[in-house]
Amino acid sequence: MTQPTPSPVLSTPLSLIAELTHRCPLHCLYCSNPIEMQKAELELATEDWQRVFQQAAQMGVLHLHLTGGEPLARKDLPQLIRAGRDAGLYVNMITSGVGLTEERLATLVDAGLEHLQLSFQDIEETSANHIAGTRSHAIKLALVPVLKKFHVAFTINLVVHRMNLDHLEEFIALAEQLQPDRLEIAHVQYYGWALKNRALLMPTAEQVERSIPIVEAARQRLRGKIHLEAVFPDYFGSFPKACVGGWGRQMMLIDPAGLALPCHSAAVIPGLKFDNVRDHDLRWIWQSSSAFNRFRGDAWMSDTCRTCERKERDFGGCRCQAFMLTGDPDAIDPVCSLSPDHGLLQTLRISVPDVLPIWRG
Amino acid sequence: MELSSIPRLAPGCRLHPTEDVLLIPEGTLNLTGPTREILALLDGQKTVEQVVADLLRQYPDAPADVIQKDILDLLSRLQQRGVVRA
Repeated sequence: MTQPTPSPVLSTPLSLIAELTHRCPLHCLYCSNPIEMQKAELELATEDWQRVFQQAAQMGVLHLHLTGGEPLARKDLPQLIRAGRDAGLYVNMITSGVGLTEERLATLVDAGLEHLQLSFQDIEETSANHIAGTRSHAIKLALVPVLKKFHVAFTINLVVHRMNLDHLEEFIALAEQLQPDRLEIAHVQYYGWALKNRALLMPTAEQVERSIPIVEAARQRLRGKIHLEAVFPDYFGSFPKACVGGWGRQMMLIDPAGLALPCHSAAVIPGLKFDNVRDHDLRWIWQSSSAFNRFRGDAWMSDTCRTCERKERDFGGCRCQAFMLTGDPDAIDPVCSLSPDHGLLQTLRISVPDVLPIWRG
Repeated sequence: MELSSIPRLAPGCRLHPTEDVLLIPEGTLNLTGPTREILALLDGQKTVEQVVADLLRQYPDAPADVIQKDILDLLSRLQQRGVVRA
């Protein structure tokens, strides 16, 4: 048995994800928000977020990602952006664009918004709205020329899965026409609500295979014009992803009610106690919160992971995925070919096109 | 990227006020050597040639042809990465 090595010197988080609200006009089939959402009346006040942003900057955090739900649902969004910039943070917003007028965007950019991320669901309206669970495609398309009037970086995120992968070239062409600064092509990851629709969204092996050269060709063609980043579907991999850059190593997420989580879906793991920014400062939480310490270092790892040369690269993979697929949060991420449960993925990779979609209420 | 190009940082890219880091959408680029000083000279008005001249004033003993080539290479690389526009 290999002895666990002592926890390495604690790193500084680089990014803070602020889930400002779980309210959202969209009902996407692949929503990454937790199944149990925080209610509006429990949301943090403006002053709470202002304090959190200052504490984050003092700890060395560089990027602030304002997300939700839909951040535009917060009336105090300009104050929150201003608070992030005043603290010294880089301010990014992930939005559906629904409710974003030119006037409102002007106030956000004026407050210091530096980067905005808009996702698209498909190439044509009926299908895109079906996936988003609401009429949003036309609104998003109309927003893009408005965005271009402002000095703000703009990323388009194409969320891909079985229902839209067959026309990936056209999907990329649509994004290209809209001329973003960055383009992300992200396969759905099966967390939160998305897990409920896994059988529906799971691409076929042929689709995944075919998508790889298409993405690579786009990367070459767009070089120097649009920076492209792609997220590979990890159910089709042989090694796990370094989920959130390793548990409690690079990022913190604060949920709408102030709970500090090491990742979007950490609440699925039983027995974790999350501390609240109403009760503790961020530095205390980063250093001392039991949830953040739960999977730091390698003491929790199986021998296979602890003795593996890749452990400093993938940090044992995703803890939430290990739990969701095996029932054991300490297990090897089944995406890893060395996991005794790797065979599970063969079954889960089977696409079931005739299952019905389940939208969020 | 040519000597007559007018380079500037792309939208959403800015120098960290104190650290040797360029803040970009979804990440950071660590800046080594004189990169920070060079990027700080990009004001959307100066040409690459003027940026080279400015840098040579700060380092009068440096070989001009090497500095010019290094700056062109650096800015071309950053342009390919999408963080500098010209």
